[in-house]
Amino acid sequence: MKNKVEILRKERGIKQDELAKALSVSRQTISSLETGKYNPSIMLAYKIAKIFDLTIEEVFIFDED
Amino acid sequence: MKCSNAMKRMILSIAWIIVGAVILVLALFGKLDEFWSGFGGALVAVGVLQLIRHIRYRTNEEYKEKVDVEVNDERNKYLSSQAWAWTGYIFVLCAAVAAITFRVMGKDELCSLCAAAISLMCVIYFVAYMILKRKY
Repeated sequence: MKNKVEILRKERGIKQDELAKALSVSRQTISSLETGKYNPSIMLAYKIAKIFDLTIEEVFIFDED
Repeated sequence: MKCSNAMKRMILSIAWIIVGAVILVLALFGKLDEFWSGFGGALVAVGVLQLIRHIRYRTNEEYKEKVDVEVNDERNKYLSSQAWAWTGYIFVLCAAVAAITFRVMGKDELCSLCAAAISLMCVIYFVAYMILKRKY
């Protein structure tokens, strides 16, 4: 599953540390999310989308491959 | 009065220290053998380390926040559960290889021990699977 977390974060001038703190996760989790190594739970995906004021579908792109 | 989880952990650490100290003293006075003196010392050491961590957790806000994030981080939880799954799988494979090797070497007792370990792991896996199946 691809995502736009890194793009959205940089657009808003948020640091990985700041996003991690807002989501109560580690900075490594944000890094893994951005590189696509880790897919978040639906709850974390919802929290991320909410922080960016977007829907889950706008942040995460389901890739059937 | 309701006891918080942090308080329960502190009480448990103190209990480790007391039990370890009692075992250590009994071993030093010759009531228990040398194995128990090492065991008692280890319990005391673990209890003291845990107690220091709990005190730091309760008094240092920055450390508390760091620990809370580490413990509740969903990627960490996922990694931990994956690591346990790998551990179980690799353990069974190693035990199977060891069982075959011991059988070929004619060491039937060790072969049976390895086979028993594999059987126990399979039973635990089956029980855990059934419990989780009911839960989710």
